[in-house]
Amino acid sequence: MKRILQVTMILVMVALPLVGCATPATQVATQVATQPPAAATQAPVATQVAMDFVVWSYGIETINDNIKNFQALNPDITITLKDYSWLDYHDTMVAAFAANNPPYLLYGSDHWLNEWAAAGWLAPLDKYCPNIAGYSKEVAAYALQGMTYNGAVYGVSYYADDLDFMYNDTLLKQGGFTAAPTTLDELYTQAKELKAKGVNEYPIIFAWSQKEGAFPEAWTSLVFAQTESGASLFDDLLNPIFNVEGSSAFQVMEWLRKIYVEGLLDPASLSTAEIDQVKSMQAGAHTFTIAPQYNMAELNKPASGDFAGQFKIALMPGVSHSNVGYVRFYAMTQKVVDAGPDYIAAACKFMDYFGGKTDGQYVVVKRWAVENGLGFAQLPLFDDPDIIAAFGQWGDVDMIKQQAILARAKEGMTPWYGSWDVFTRAEIHKGILGQQTSMETLNNMAGNWDELKATP
Amino acid sequence: MRIKQRARINSILTNLMVVILIIYIAGPFVWVISASFQGENELLKKPPSFIPKNPTTDNYRYVFTGQVPTSYEVKGQLRSRISQEARLIAPALKNSFIIAITVLAINLLFATPAAYAFARLRWKFRSGSYNFILASRLMPAMAIAIPYYMIIQSLRLMDSKLSLILVHSALTIPFSIWFLTMYITNIPRDLEEAGQVDGCNYFQVLKNIVVPLIIPGLVAASAFAFMTSYNEFLFARFLTTSIASQTGPVVLSSISGNPDASYSLISVCLTLGMIPPIILAISMRKWLTEGLSSTITFR
Amino acid sequence: MSVENATQVKPRRSTSRFFEKFYPYGSVLPALLIIILFTIFPVIYAIRVSVYQNILTKPNSHPFVGLKNFIDVITSYYFKTALVNTAIYTIAAVTGVIIFGLIVASLLNTKIRSVNALKIIILLPWAVPAVVAGLMWKWILNSDFGIFNGILYSLGLIKSYIPFLADPVLAKFSLVMAHIWKEGPLATIFILAGLQLIPNELYESAKIDGGGGLRLFRHITLPLLRPILLVVVVYETMTAILTFDLIYVMTGGGPGDSTALISWFAYAEIFKFLNLGNGVALSIIIALITLVLIILYMRALKTETTIY
Repeated sequence: MKRILQVTMILVMVALPLVGCATPATQVATQVATQPPAAATQAPVATQVAMDFVVWSYGIETINDNIKNFQALNPDITITLKDYSWLDYHDTMVAAFAANNPPYLLYGSDHWLNEWAAAGWLAPLDKYCPNIAGYSKEVAAYALQGMTYNGAVYGVSYYADDLDFMYNDTLLKQGGFTAAPTTLDELYTQAKELKAKGVNEYPIIFAWSQKEGAFPEAWTSLVFAQTESGASLFDDLLNPIFNVEGSSAFQVMEWLRKIYVEGLLDPASLSTAEIDQVKSMQAGAHTFTIAPQYNMAELNKPASGDFAGQFKIALMPGVSHSNVGYVRFYAMTQKVVDAGPDYIAAACKFMDYFGGKTDGQYVVVKRWAVENGLGFAQLPLFDDPDIIAAFGQWGDVDMIKQQAILARAKEGMTPWYGSWDVFTRAEIHKGILGQQTSMETLNNMAGNWDELKATP
Repeated sequence: MRIKQRARINSILTNLMVVILIIYIAGPFVWVISASFQGENELLKKPPSFIPKNPTTDNYRYVFTGQVPTSYEVKGQLRSRISQEARLIAPALKNSFIIAITVLAINLLFATPAAYAFARLRWKFRSGSYNFILASRLMPAMAIAIPYYMIIQSLRLMDSKLSLILVHSALTIPFSIWFLTMYITNIPRDLEEAGQVDGCNYFQVLKNIVVPLIIPGLVAASAFAFMTSYNEFLFARFLTTSIASQTGPVVLSSISGNPDASYSLISVCLTLGMIPPIILAISMRKWLTEGLSSTITFR
Repeated sequence: MSVENATQVKPRRSTSRFFEKFYPYGSVLPALLIIILFTIFPVIYAIRVSVYQNILTKPNSHPFVGLKNFIDVITSYYFKTALVNTAIYTIAAVTGVIIFGLIVASLLNTKIRSVNALKIIILLPWAVPAVVAGLMWKWILNSDFGIFNGILYSLGLIKSYIPFLADPVLAKFSLVMAHIWKEGPLATIFILAGLQLIPNELYESAKIDGGGGLRLFRHITLPLLRPILLVVVVYETMTAILTFDLIYVMTGGGPGDSTALISWFAYAEIFKFLNLGNGVALSIIIALITLVLIILYMRALKTETTIY
């Protein structure tokens, strides 16, 4: 029986590759880049165009309302919305792209733009839609950087944000402090005091679960803040420069290990995701955290918890107070280009409405900012009175603006950043847990980067 | 005297063990059901309460009618933690059910004659094809997920229930065949031989003699096929893109992993998703245990 | 009985011979067709993918690379650690499931009244999808809102919530607990069937000879259960090695890489590293490892199954 079983399996697994069948292997993944046609004109779309639009599951009611308004203005275009959980979004889209079944329009993130553009899955917007150049001029530098690959712009942004250092002012005062910490050392001292006084069991919490998207951005923010000037992680030739004793990354790893060992950092941080982090802060379980700025609206909303209104932002503790800014945008896939000029024109109208201007106003972007407190990439909006009024309800507009000016895009945005990220998360965890030293962690990260970079 | 005391201690320990086991096995279910009747703010307290302090049916009402629970209205639109995903659970379960029932029927239809052929008849490729069928289950799903995707796409069956029916049948038939083959092997041949003496051909023997004898085994095999199909997650996730064909596990995993959905809504979906398998497991337990026992105790 | 219902047909000789000869093939054909379509093609395709370079972010280069993908995978940074973690997990899970099965089956085999409740609920964990099991346990073990922490805290057993899924050792432990919860019931049923086969007379005569509870278990129950235990071990080993759903929903491989089992990396290779060639190569390796283990187990199985 074993013999027959073995023989059968071996036959199946060995003999068949010798058959040189033309398999769909060539169909897998991708579309080879085609010659882009001349940019579409602004003539109205003649035929009925239906496109699907894929998003992650945030604010679905608002998105549907926006779609309704867009369709009212453009009756010949129909948009169907599909949403997937944010934690699954990247992998779900990869599966769709890999099997040649992409949507027309979708959300994109700077985190994986390089990956998707290199694979030929997304189409460069500025080649097909004439208004993009105008929008790009008004967008913050880090946001534009996050939407650009190989010199082409791949999206219009509806949301851009940075990772801010947040604290609970009431608890801070209970610890006997009047001002937020400005360096990592001060943060350590304050946390220690808070713990000693019994204000919090773990004064610091991070959302650094293996699956949490903002993990690398928060860690990188800490590193940026310790860097006086210039690059923190990679040089101009994309070689790692962080695995040196005394580098910003080294300081951050040492500090993280210290606060973990002394019980100042909640050990559950390694499995906490953003929502739980916010809920914990609202419940007053911790005093300090780093989170995307838009959470301030939720934290300070009246009646959201005992400490509503008590949450404040301070500049990222460190030398330069710099931090990471990221951008999320609307993108169109190669499928739109392949479908012809009608679809391209419709997609450009979509981009205009959702990420650009209607009657001179960034309608959708402004709506997200005013109603949900989402940050934005478009600089003129900082002077918009409605936005100032809305943000002022739950945050210090000046502080937000100050920190946003210091925001930088992540370093090392390349097609293999995603792979490196998976490896890096595990290494950072191991460093915090003490399973290896900080230098070992950084050396491993550098080694993995070099390997990925060297792959032809 | 000492024997009596020992017996009593034994009895107490045993009963304690039984209680612990019952808590371990049924505890999670009870918690989820209890949570589905609680509002979100209650669930986020530290510690949460096992028994709802203010039980509410608002969550169920939202899932079935779309009427937003009042507690969420207070929160407003900011991070409202309502995802329309929660409302997809009912159609998703319907899909699961339809697919699983069809897979069950296909299993019965195709696996039974095959099992009979393997168990009773002598023919040329018997061993080879039996091994091949069993070996087909060895490949990890991850390796073949993308090829399956390609096949289904080229058959133009993406996002259809039929695609899942085909894939699930391929996944469940080997086990049904193995199971029924063993089962049939354990039955004495006398009645079949008598039937053949009387002039029945193989098909008639199968239909009129064997099938009535193996009904417990058939029920068990069908239940397995149904459960496997109903619970299947990996292929359901990759081969479906819309609620037209998405099944229970896909929606459940999506909404439970969705940071923008509240725990209350998640537990409603979990509860609803649990109901059919629970009904099956409890009502069919006699058949299932009998069927499994007879198969496993060969010789 | 059904014999009386059998119709007495006497078909012509040649057709009946033909029919009888091809009946086996005909009855197996439909099943075989479905399986071939959904097994042969994917396997061929998988093998083909594994010998070419296929990185999604480099769509224009697909050179034939022979065994390079396999070598890459075996020499990768994660291979050894993942195998070790998988081995630990498998041993813990299989042992746990067997012990669970033995205990519960023994209990179910008695006439104690409280066991009746157990009989009703025993199959419930088996009946829910693995992802649902993972999600339920993830929530229950949550270090902020988990009910398990809540109960321990209310009973005064712990002073602060335990981070079950954030500590490398505890995370493994939690996964194993969830795995046992999910897989235990099936093993229990199998073992129960085996227990019920053991004739009571054996126990009675042993008791007369002065055997106590544990002695009886070691010298009568275990040896007679051996074939069934081996089947359970084979099945559970396969399940443990191929575990993916649980890890995916509960820990995502973390913290660090303490719960990144080998099957999780097959997933990561494809969906995170976007390296189709490596991912499929790794899956083939996993299949081969499983196959080898099964063959080893089968050798140890004294009474072989059915038709060979």
